[in-house]
Amino acid sequence: MTALATLPPAQFKSELKPIWCPGCGDYGVVQAIYRALSAIGRPPHEIAFISGIGCSSRIPGYTTAYGFNTVHGRALPIAQGLKLANPDLLVLVAGGDGDGFSIGGGHVPHAIRRNLDLTYIVMDNQVYGLTKGQLSPTSPKGLKTVTSAYGSLESPINPLLQVLSCGAGFVAQSTPADMPGLAAVIEEAIRYPGFSFVNVQSPCVTFGEEDQQVKAHKGRMQSLASKGHDPADYLKALELATHYGVELYTGVFYRNPNPPATYDAQVRERQAELQKTAVPRERILEMFQKG
Amino acid sequence: MATQGINFQNLSLKDALDLAVLIEEEARDRYLELAEQLETHHTPEAAVFFRKMVRVEEIHRSQLDKRRHELFGDMPMTVTRAMIFDIEAPEYDEARADMSVQAALQASMRSEKKAHDFFARALPEVRDEAVKALFSELRDEELEHQRWVQLELDRAPGEPNPAFDDSDEPVAL
Amino acid sequence: MRDIVIGMAGSGGDGIVSAGESLIAAAASLGFHAMMTKSFGPQIRGGESSCRVRLSTRELHSSGGALGVAIALNWEDFLKFGSELRCDDATVVIYEAKTGVLPEHIPLGNIKPREIMAVPLAELTKQSAGTEKAKNSLVLGLLSGWLGLSQDTLRKGIQRRYGKKGEEIVNGNLRAFEAGRQYADAHPSQTPLRLDAPAAATTKILTDGNDITAAAAIFAGCQFFGGYPITPSSEVMQFLGKEIWKYGGAVLQAEDEIAGIGTAVGASFGGKKAMTATSGPGMSLKTEILGLATIAELPLVVVNVQRGGPSTGLPTKPEQSDLYQACFSAHGDVLRPVLAPTSVADSFHCTVDAFNIAERYQTPVIILSDQEIAQRKETCDPIDTSKLVVEDRKRPTPEQLEKYTRFAASPDGISPISHPGMKGGAYLAAGIEHTESGAPSASGAVHARMNDKRFNKLLPLESWSGAVTVAGDAGADLALIAWGSIGGVALEVLDLAQAEGLRLKVLVPRLLYPVPKEVYRSFLRNVNSGLVVEQSHQGQLYKILRMELDLPKGLVSYCRSGANPIQPSEVLAKLKALSADARRSLS
Repeated sequence: MTALATLPPAQFKSELKPIWCPGCGDYGVVQAIYRALSAIGRPPHEIAFISGIGCSSRIPGYTTAYGFNTVHGRALPIAQGLKLANPDLLVLVAGGDGDGFSIGGGHVPHAIRRNLDLTYIVMDNQVYGLTKGQLSPTSPKGLKTVTSAYGSLESPINPLLQVLSCGAGFVAQSTPADMPGLAAVIEEAIRYPGFSFVNVQSPCVTFGEEDQQVKAHKGRMQSLASKGHDPADYLKALELATHYGVELYTGVFYRNPNPPATYDAQVRERQAELQKTAVPRERILEMFQKG
Repeated sequence: MATQGINFQNLSLKDALDLAVLIEEEARDRYLELAEQLETHHTPEAAVFFRKMVRVEEIHRSQLDKRRHELFGDMPMTVTRAMIFDIEAPEYDEARADMSVQAALQASMRSEKKAHDFFARALPEVRDEAVKALFSELRDEELEHQRWVQLELDRAPGEPNPAFDDSDEPVAL
Repeated sequence: MRDIVIGMAGSGGDGIVSAGESLIAAAASLGFHAMMTKSFGPQIRGGESSCRVRLSTRELHSSGGALGVAIALNWEDFLKFGSELRCDDATVVIYEAKTGVLPEHIPLGNIKPREIMAVPLAELTKQSAGTEKAKNSLVLGLLSGWLGLSQDTLRKGIQRRYGKKGEEIVNGNLRAFEAGRQYADAHPSQTPLRLDAPAAATTKILTDGNDITAAAAIFAGCQFFGGYPITPSSEVMQFLGKEIWKYGGAVLQAEDEIAGIGTAVGASFGGKKAMTATSGPGMSLKTEILGLATIAELPLVVVNVQRGGPSTGLPTKPEQSDLYQACFSAHGDVLRPVLAPTSVADSFHCTVDAFNIAERYQTPVIILSDQEIAQRKETCDPIDTSKLVVEDRKRPTPEQLEKYTRFAASPDGISPISHPGMKGGAYLAAGIEHTESGAPSASGAVHARMNDKRFNKLLPLESWSGAVTVAGDAGADLALIAWGSIGGVALEVLDLAQAEGLRLKVLVPRLLYPVPKEVYRSFLRNVNSGLVVEQSHQGQLYKILRMELDLPKGLVSYCRSGANPIQPSEVLAKLKALSADARRSLS
């Protein structure tokens, strides 16, 4: 038997009733997050959950953690500022594929290279649900939507490959069709000391394609562990990630076996080192006064 | 339907009873969530059925809970909700806006079958005789529940002709 | 002589700006009031450069008018700074004899300077230092002689400046300085240039608007800065990048302007005082997140060091054309305090005020500096920081945390604000409209109520005692209103007017928005005519005042685009004309 969690998953569920469509994959994601947080054991007030805009970005409000439902695409910068202001916090970042890989795409490589200890959960449904079914950056080529009436002409972004190639230390994928697996990778991502990324194939029940629904996922998903993948093998992880959009691999693609020092840890070191040289705040102007 | 960190081979009766309680609790809570989802999405008939299931699962839970306390008093629990996933609880994917009562009943039927399968699959692993007896009893009860749901299904109105569906378009936010 | 402006220009390699730095540093340590502005050609390196140094025994408000002394290392470079280095018939012109230009042929058009001296700058430098490179030290020697500035202090400055480069360089420069000094002694100017002794020989603070803004942020308790490099504000980030760590803070150079303000908002949500700084183009990009800070009621200080716009505009020149943007660039109903410093010293106070207002009212506050104030060096008297109040946001009490409501209604509209890590304080901050508890809401009633809350909480600001500086003759019917660096020009105009016996009063707003209406009304009560002077094409403050107030008909706008300095003398002339017109129409 595992140790009894002091905080059951229900402790992380807020009073706010989700407005997601019944059947939405995000219900499973939030449930998996409750479970992961329960396993981690940090109390809700020590957790901050930052999101952008989109159906999935509603998620912080459904937890008892501190939440910040920000603006479209900017969850990562806001989360980084928060983490630097208060490095003791457990900071989660969430959003959809549009939030992370379209309007906010410019922030992703920088959040990764900075390597703050954050967990970024993207609910990837290959479509814009909140605005009613437009093309998303991960929509497959040829997809017909209200903004691609004759089929999209562009290839999708591959979030897994992009994040891996930017150097993220922890990259995983899952689906609400595999609840234990989803909760486990989120927990593992949180435990990873550095920037961690979980791409959740979270179906849009209203605008998503039939082959992207939970039932279809159950037939398609293949766990990386069952394929014998070693998450320390970066090159193999890259190769497996190239199958995004074709195969539905679940589990950990990559976990850096030697996590480098995080940005926030280095900031603390620098502060500790330089704090000794501070003149009192109220005398700061003296540096401009040279005899 | 899945579990995490449960070793059925050395499961004690107390843990088995606690698991059973948690399984009913998970089902109760899930039905409540789904009922609320359907209520906010204007699907009242199916919601009414899910609310009924909330009461049913609560009755099952409290009966089991009573037995647990009679046998083991307030001895602390060593199993948690985090160990079980959707055993008797319908999966989130079962709900749909505008789902019919019949569809709701079918979702329930699948859930009762899942629960039955859970106990049926666990039984061969269980060593403790008292636990074996409990799991057999619970497995059979799930069959009883399935019969009850089937009766409800027989009485339920048929699926409306989908051609009558003239729902408004989904809304952009 | 009590007040003199020296203007110098040359190629970047001449180090003329460095000579200006040495001059003003010496002046500051001797107790003079001084101000220095720099101007450069568009090249990053190897372009032309110039500086103006104004020295005075009295307090200064602007970088002054026409040059008292003009130094041209070559005429081509000097003429590129026509408007910054304006000469008139009182100017003493000193130029490089090597240019071969005869004194009667110097290329200043119709201007007939008071005195012209061709000095063999390069030759003297070569002879004394062995290289022409030390020309700037020779120029310092000349100025030391003609202005009567302490040789010792200037020599000490040279030693400090070149100390790191080794003895040979220090000595070469000292020899060039000496050569200049001797040349000045041997060739006294016909025009009296010697400066009177300063009123008090105490060392003054010497810095620029950007650095003092950053120092003020540290004083005010700022612990996070997120930003992106942009001229002319980068020095704020650079200063904090050196200093803020010492105070437990952090600076993050973000990937773009949006991330810069984003990280700052995140830090503020985390309970820390936070700031970002930028210039016009960056401000445009930050606009959406400014709105987020407004609706989430998060304190934040945003510095916009204005430059000429729109778009890339004039990146290195001052303008006051971002006022509309500061006040109004928002979607939705937004009221956002906008402050503008009027001097380098005021940049310190303004920044402390901005943090206090941001924290007190839980709102973003914009500091509208401009390139002139931000990058000009200026002396100021030591500031007694013990007299300044530093405020912190209202945080929930343990009782309030027992049943915490983030946006709870309160008589002053200000709700105690928790931050992640605070037990019992968890809430959802959001850009979406929300109820008192933070729950998202699309209700019109909730939206109206929360708009009321966000606007009403800022009402007391309009009667804030620091909102304006008023000077001059309270009974005057002639008024002058100006803000930012032009506020300094207005105060100089007042000095000139008083010297001429013209009754004038001046209002320099530090709080530009919300408009402190009652303060303006009482100031304007007996005013018949006057000017609102601004360095912009549109005269944006004038139009905002007209929008918010009934202005006297005789109060008119006087404005022109950036990088065309507005001179105290021209404003005075305009005021006199207005006053005369008003009197004629009255009689």
